[in-house]
Amino acid sequence: MAQRYGLVIDLDRCTGCCTCVVACQMEHSLDHVSGIRVETVGGQGRDTPGGNHPLLSMYYLPIPCMHCREARCIEACPLEAIYRRSDGIVAIDDARCNGCEACIEACPYGALVYLPERDRIWKCNLCAHRVDAGLDPFCVLCCEMEAMFFGDVDDPTSRVAELARQKKASVLKPELGTHPAVLYFGGTSADTTFAPSTSSTST
Amino acid sequence: MIDTGTRQVRTVCNVGCGMSCGLLAHVRDGVLTKVEPADFPDPKYRHLCARALASVKLVYHPDRLRHPLKRVGERGDGNWQRISWEEALDTIASRLKDIKERHGPRSLTWETAGVGMLDVAYARFAGCLEATAVSLIGFGDAAGPCGDRASFGVLWGEGYQTDFDEPGMCVLWGNNPAETQPFGMRKVRDARERGARVVAIDPRFTPTAAKADEYISIRPGTDTALALGLLNVVMDRGLVDAPFVEQHTVGPFLVNLATGRFLKESDATANGSPGKFLVWDTATGAACAYDSAVARPALSGAYEVNGIDCKPAFEMLVESAKDYTPGKVADITGVPPDTIARLALDYATRRPVASFRGMGLQRTFHGDLTFRAISTLAAATGNIKAAGPQTPVLNTRAFLRAGGRCNFIPVLKVYDAIARGDPYPIKALWVAKHNMLNQLPDTRRIMRDLLPNLEFIVVADYFMNASAQYADIVLPACTFYEQNNLLVPPGGSPGVHNYLQMQNKAIAPVPECKPELQVLKELAERMGFGEYFQQSEEEFIDLLISWDHPSVAGATAAKLKEGPFQTQPYETPDFMTPSGRMEFYCEKLIDLGQQLPCYIEPVEGAGRPVTRKYPLTFLNTHTRFRTHSVYTNVHWLRDLDPEPVLEINPVDADPRSIVDGDLVRVFNDRGVMKLRAKVHQGIRPGAVNTAQGWWPQHYIEGSHQDLTHAYVNPAQQAIYEPNAALYDVAVEVEKVPEA
Repeated sequence: MAQRYGLVIDLDRCTGCCTCVVACQMEHSLDHVSGIRVETVGGQGRDTPGGNHPLLSMYYLPIPCMHCREARCIEACPLEAIYRRSDGIVAIDDARCNGCEACIEACPYGALVYLPERDRIWKCNLCAHRVDAGLDPFCVLCCEMEAMFFGDVDDPTSRVAELARQKKASVLKPELGTHPAVLYFGGTSADTTFAPSTSSTST
Repeated sequence: MIDTGTRQVRTVCNVGCGMSCGLLAHVRDGVLTKVEPADFPDPKYRHLCARALASVKLVYHPDRLRHPLKRVGERGDGNWQRISWEEALDTIASRLKDIKERHGPRSLTWETAGVGMLDVAYARFAGCLEATAVSLIGFGDAAGPCGDRASFGVLWGEGYQTDFDEPGMCVLWGNNPAETQPFGMRKVRDARERGARVVAIDPRFTPTAAKADEYISIRPGTDTALALGLLNVVMDRGLVDAPFVEQHTVGPFLVNLATGRFLKESDATANGSPGKFLVWDTATGAACAYDSAVARPALSGAYEVNGIDCKPAFEMLVESAKDYTPGKVADITGVPPDTIARLALDYATRRPVASFRGMGLQRTFHGDLTFRAISTLAAATGNIKAAGPQTPVLNTRAFLRAGGRCNFIPVLKVYDAIARGDPYPIKALWVAKHNMLNQLPDTRRIMRDLLPNLEFIVVADYFMNASAQYADIVLPACTFYEQNNLLVPPGGSPGVHNYLQMQNKAIAPVPECKPELQVLKELAERMGFGEYFQQSEEEFIDLLISWDHPSVAGATAAKLKEGPFQTQPYETPDFMTPSGRMEFYCEKLIDLGQQLPCYIEPVEGAGRPVTRKYPLTFLNTHTRFRTHSVYTNVHWLRDLDPEPVLEINPVDADPRSIVDGDLVRVFNDRGVMKLRAKVHQGIRPGAVNTAQGWWPQHYIEGSHQDLTHAYVNPAQQAIYEPNAALYDVAVEVEKVPEA
C-alpha cells in the first residue's frame, strides 16, 4: 500500500487556542492567511456555545487541507499545478499556479486561500519540507494541547492509524467520497453546525 | 529546505503570563526568524502558545520605538522630537536630581511589569537613591497572595494543592487556563485522561469550561459563599478529615471568646509559655499546651480555662459555616442546592482534589476571603499537602540593597501618593514595560488627579502605547530576545516546572534600543552611583543564584547558559504561618471581623445602592490572544480577534433591544466605553464582559479601564497589599445609534 501522510486530531483535547494557525503562518512566512483555521462548533461565531445558559456545549474544529485521496482541487486546476506526492501530500507547484482560484471553488473544505501579494494559491502542504527532513509538521510540533498527530494514515501499523482505529476517528463530509487523510475523534456537542460524521473512513 | 545556516538559542518567553515556557529562537544573519518550543530535561514541560510564537513579531514591528523621544507641547498632544540617548539620559538625570532636591528621594518612583529577576534592577536603582519602587502585583493579582499569606504564610499557595499523579478531581475555580496559561490546561486534560473529574466554576462558559465534565455557572464575586456552603455540607455529613484538621491546621487551638485571640499556655498558668498554643485534651478533660503527646485534642465543644471562655478554632469554623445552608448559598450564588450538595460530596470523596484558584477569583473586592474559603474547604477535606512549597530562594537582598534600600509601595496606594501626597508625595514616575494607562483601573482618575501632579514621567516600552503618549521622555526598550535575564519557576498554577532558566540573548538589540541594565548603568553614572551598575547581566545573575541556599546549590549563570537548572529540595516548615499550621483562623483580621473566612457581598454587587442605577456586573477577563496589553497590535493574533466586543446574554440584551453586532454604550459614574455587542449564551445573565488588553484607540469611545475603580480593601492591606477589584464593577448598557 502506498504511503499517505495525514493528521489525526483529538477534538477532546483541542481548546481552540489557534497556536496551529499562527505556527503555520510562522513556518510559511504568511500574513493574514494560514494553512489551517479553527472553527467553533456550538453557537454562532468564535467561542460561542450552543444551548442556553448554563446548559451549554462547544468544541473546536481545526481545519487544514484534508489531503484527499480524491482531491477535487487537483481535478479542478486547469494548469495541473496541484499534484499529489508519492507520500500522499497534496501540494501546489508555484511555478505553474496562476492564482485563478478554480481550486478554491472546488474544495469542499475551504482549505485553499488566495495570496494577493504573490498572485498564487496557498494551502497546507503538511510542511513537506519538514516531513522530508523527518520532522513533524510545525503545527503538530507547536500544538499546545498535544491534540494533533502526524503519520501515514494508510499504514495499519502506524501510530496514527492505530489511534484512528481505537478512537473510531471519522472524516469531514464522508458522503462526498473525497477520502480525506485528516481524521478526527472526540468532540461532542448538542448543537452542531459542522459536525464530523460518525462514519469511519474506508482506508 | 531545512535551513542549516541557522543559529539556535534557548531562551524563555518573558511577557508576563508567568508560565516561563522555554523557547528555541532561530537566528540567521543576526535576524530572529522563528521560535519553537524548547526542550526541557523533563520533556513534559516542552510547551508554547500562539502568543509566544507571535512574540517574534514584536521585535521587527513597524511601529516599534527605535530611538528616544522628548515631548514638545502639552502632554498627550502627540508631538515628539527625536533625541539622542545622551540628551535623554542627561535630561532624566537633571530632572530627577532637581525633583529629589525639592521633594525628597521617595518622590522618585520606578515601576516595571517585567517578570525576569533582572527587571528587579529598577528597585536596586531606586534603592541607591532611597527612592520608591512600586509593587505591581496589586493591579489584579494581590488578593490571592493576601489569602494565601493568611492561610499558608506564602504568597502563592499553589504548591499546597494536591498533585495529579492519582487524580480524583480538578476544580477550575474562576480559572481559564485554556486561554491564559495553556500549559496548566494541558495538565488538567492529562489528569482527566487518567481519570480525574473536571469541574469548572465560572460566570462564563469558557474554552476551559467546554472541556469540563461539569460546568457550574456562578454569579460573579460570590465564590466565597459557595466554598463555605460546600464546607457546611461537608461538616453536616460528617465528611471532615479530622486527623488532617487536628495535625495540620489551627483547628484544635483554643480561641479566647472575649478577645478572639488564640489561648496560649501563659494565659492558663503563671509560668506558661506565651508561644505555646493551648488545646483541650479530651483524654484528660483539661487544657494543655499542644504537642504531639496530646492524644485527642478537641475539635468541637466549649470550654473554660482559667476563667476564660474558649472554643477550638474548628468549632468556631463549624458554627460560622452553619449560616451557609445550600438554600441560602443558592440564593447568593445562583448555583442550585443539589449541585452544591453533590460538589461537596465530590470534594470529600474524590480525593485528591486539586483546586485551581484562578485570577478571576481575585478580582472581586473580597477576593482574599475567596482564596481563604477555598483553602479552608480543601484543608477540611484533606485536600492540602502539608509540605512547604519548594520555591527556590535567591539572594535578592544582596541584589536589591546595593547602595541603599528602596521603599516599596503597593500600586493602589500610588494613587493617593500622587494625588494627595499620602503617605508621601510622588512627583516623578518611571514606567518600564508596564502600560499603566491601559492596565491600571479608573483611567479617568489617573488622567484627572494623577498625571497633573507628576512633574516628570519617563516611559520605557516597545511602542507608543497609551502610557507612552503621556510621558515626557520615551525610551525604546528591548524585548526579551535582545537581553539576558533570569527566570524563576512559575508559581501561579499547580503542577508547573521547578527550573531556573536563563533568558539568553538571541539577537543584538535592534538599533538604538537599549537593554534596561545598560540604561540604568549610564544613568547611575550620571547620578553619582555608577559603581553599583558595572556588572554584566551574567554577573548580576550570579549574585542572585550563587549563594549558600540549598535550593540553588551549584547554580551559576554559566551553567544556566547550558540549559534549565532543576532547583534542589530543601528543608522548609510545612506552613510559614505564625503557628506553623494552615491558618483558617487569622488573628490579624480580628478587628475587621474577618478572622474566619466569611462571605461579604462584592463592593458593587447585588443589593449595593450603586446597582440600582447600574445593574450589570462588568468583567474584563483575559484572552488567549493577548497577555495583558501585549500583542494587541500583532496582526497574527489581531486577525483572529479583530475588535473589542461586549459579551452580553440575550436575557439582558433583549429588554435593551440589543442584537448581535449592535453598537452599545457601557457606562457608570466613572466613565463610558463604546463598542459592539456580542450577544450569546456563553455569558451568565447579569454579567457582561469585554476581554481586556485592548488599547484605547481600539474602542469607538473610552476603554474598559474607564469603568473600573481603585478601591482599597483594608483587610488586604493588613495582610499584604490591596488588590484592584477589576471584575467588581457595576455598569449599565444601552444601545446607541450607528455614527
